[in-house]
Amino acid sequence: MDLVYELIFTVFPYLCLTVFVLGHAYRYVTDRYKWNARSSEFLEKKSLFWGAILFHIGIILTFVGHAGGLLIPQTYYDLFGITGDMHLSIAHWTGEVVGIAALLGCLLLLGRRLFNLRVRAAGTFNDLFTLGALAIVIGTGVYNVFFGRYNVLYSVAPWIRGIVTFSPDPDLMRPVPLSFKIHVTAAWALLGFSPFSRLVHIWSVPVFYFFRRHILFRRRATGGTGAEALSSPAPGGKEG
Amino acid sequence: MKIKAQTAMVLNLDKCIGCHTCSIPCKNVWTTRKGAEYMWFNNVECKPGIGYPKKWENQDVHRGGWQLKNGRLELKAGGRLHKGINIFHNPDLPTIDEYYEPWNYDYESLITSPERKHQPSIRPRSQLTGKHMDLSWGPNWEDDLAGASETAVGDINFRDLDHALYLQFRNVFMFYLPRLCEHCLNPACVASCPSGAMYKREEDGIVLVDQERCRGWRYCVSGCPYKKVYFNWKTGRAEKCIFCYPRVEAGMTTLCAHTCVGRIRYVGLFLYDADRIAEVASAKEDTDVYPAHLDILLDPEDPEVTDRAAAQGMAPNVIDAALRSPVYKLAKAWKLALPLHPEFRTLPMVWYIPPLSPIRDYAEPGQESDLIDRLRIPVRFLANLLTAGDEAPVRLALHRLSAVRHYMRSVRVEGQADEALLQAVGLDRDTTEAVYRLLALARFDERYVLPTTRPDASQLHQFQGRCGFNPDAA
Ligand code: HEM
Ligand code: SF4
Repeated sequence: MDLVYELIFTVFPYLCLTVFVLGHAYRYVTDRYKWNARSSEFLEKKSLFWGAILFHIGIILTFVGHAGGLLIPQTYYDLFGITGDMHLSIAHWTGEVVGIAALLGCLLLLGRRLFNLRVRAAGTFNDLFTLGALAIVIGTGVYNVFFGRYNVLYSVAPWIRGIVTFSPDPDLMRPVPLSFKIHVTAAWALLGFSPFSRLVHIWSVPVFYFFRRHILFRRRATGGTGAEALSSPAPGGKEG
Repeated sequence: MKIKAQTAMVLNLDKCIGCHTCSIPCKNVWTTRKGAEYMWFNNVECKPGIGYPKKWENQDVHRGGWQLKNGRLELKAGGRLHKGINIFHNPDLPTIDEYYEPWNYDYESLITSPERKHQPSIRPRSQLTGKHMDLSWGPNWEDDLAGASETAVGDINFRDLDHALYLQFRNVFMFYLPRLCEHCLNPACVASCPSGAMYKREEDGIVLVDQERCRGWRYCVSGCPYKKVYFNWKTGRAEKCIFCYPRVEAGMTTLCAHTCVGRIRYVGLFLYDADRIAEVASAKEDTDVYPAHLDILLDPEDPEVTDRAAAQGMAPNVIDAALRSPVYKLAKAWKLALPLHPEFRTLPMVWYIPPLSPIRDYAEPGQESDLIDRLRIPVRFLANLLTAGDEAPVRLALHRLSAVRHYMRSVRVEGQADEALLQAVGLDRDTTEAVYRLLALARFDERYVLPTTRPDASQLHQFQGRCGFNPDAA
């Protein structure tokens, strides 16, 4: 039993994180050509609207929530007078709203990807798998928010912080209900898979666009100053 | 003053016969890949018409290009913040239906068909879904005014004109408009790209997409007012006309220009003052943009310009090519060529000589004093297309074209040079003959004047006889 916990809640997360980091590096070096959002808006834009917007807003806020709730210890919140109960209640209500948004968006995207002929033809199995995996992770997450009734602040949260700070303690996960265990395990798996999917677009968020000048110039890649130019142009070809 | 060189093209619409020969080699060489079937880096439209993609000129629909707001130049689709917010779903992105759904035919079924009473026929099959489809729009759907009575109503160049009048059979007019990327001086596509994947080349101004940095945010597609950046639906990246840069670097002209049977195309360099781009693009009125644009195109025969360019490091063969530039003559020296929709404020660099057209029903002498007003193609339409509605430059170009014809006719047919019309349009005899020569007779190397790019600095000849071996090994 100990070994199983060790494997699932220590070894597996680190495995996924390693694949996550090395996978992104490998992909960036070897396959930059396919590193993009793979937008399908050009083929179908009406049903994409609600799907893409609900999903993205929902998932990004969910990330913010997870980061704030799980990575920052409750003791810091206590300093600011936010008690564990208040924290849970905020997490619960915001979690319900953004979770539902993300899930609904994800299902809309999934439906579109399955039933719109064009989107289906242009997409790959990988695209479908990514959405399916997201649906599972988000689905179990939403289930937990609505029906889980379990305080994660003193179990799951410290366990995750333990992993992040390289002092893992799988025993913390022992009392956690099964649905939470499935959620976190699926999430680690998705993290490990993400470098090999279109999810790489997350790391290309164009922040520099906000600071750069509008028009960009680039020189041709060859060196030299131009002073060594050919002396006379060759006419392009012969014609009567 | 920062002097840069810009590769540019002039197309003489007076001579375009609408044969689409230019589009074919371009298609064959650059856009036969999966996801690119629908792309035509070069396409030939028939005017009046709404074009490819539908209504590309109408920025109330597409929101491409720049606009002046409170005296400040900004992207019409909205600034950086707007783009950040709408990145998950770009409201201004056209869909493939506005271009057309690409299709093909099962040609093989013609050969493999069993013997039947009737000839076998083949049905179009979508290249997107692989399913049979009914065609309702395609490339050149409006060719030679096909369906123009319905679609051409939406041509924005009818502004201030009664389109119903001009779409009646007895008044109808048409001309061809071959289109490619304008390789603008102030490209809205480059400014719209969140990833910084699009850029202008420092040396020749060609606008390119860095395929390894394109992340598929697709704002360049909607940002270009000429709709000349295309979205590859298979790879999820932007692709566009590359002005055949691998050829241009070798001093060869573009495929579209090389193959043009009407010999309507001219390719060459402009020298321009890069410090004044923002000022020109922010000209107060839409009609001020063209004169301001003309103003920053520098005279290569002015030694002050060439000296300064050389001092700033411009290669001698580039300066030499600029000196012999056919496009400079057509656009600036003779003012025959005009930009396409300067009001989009991207400062486009593919310019057009407006077409003359047959004279309409005979009018009583003196009734319409200006011959140009009796041409079938209304001047206003051309002005809306080429000069943001300012008729004067279009009139000047058309008057000059007709004066050159008149003069040459007097020389060649009547045997007596009649210079009467020349003076009124500001041409002298030598210039007129030069115009005639460039428009009618010019050979390949007069129409296409491009410098070769400086050779690769790696001195390839040093590797001769050493490649594949390692002479330094013990
Ligand atoms: C952080 C900023 C993000 C930006 C700017 C962004 C942008 C985009 C864009 C432009 C698309 C293409 C939509 C289309 O036109 O088809 C897309 C698709 C997608 N994004 Fe994001 N995204 C972000 C974050 C995320 C996150 C955090 C996730 C999930 C973990 C995610 C998951 C997806 C998925 C699954 C699709 C594919 C939808 C489909 O099947 O069509 N994105 N994203
Ligand atoms: S015409 Fe070419 S350079 Fe100009 S905005 Fe469009 S794609 Fe960019």
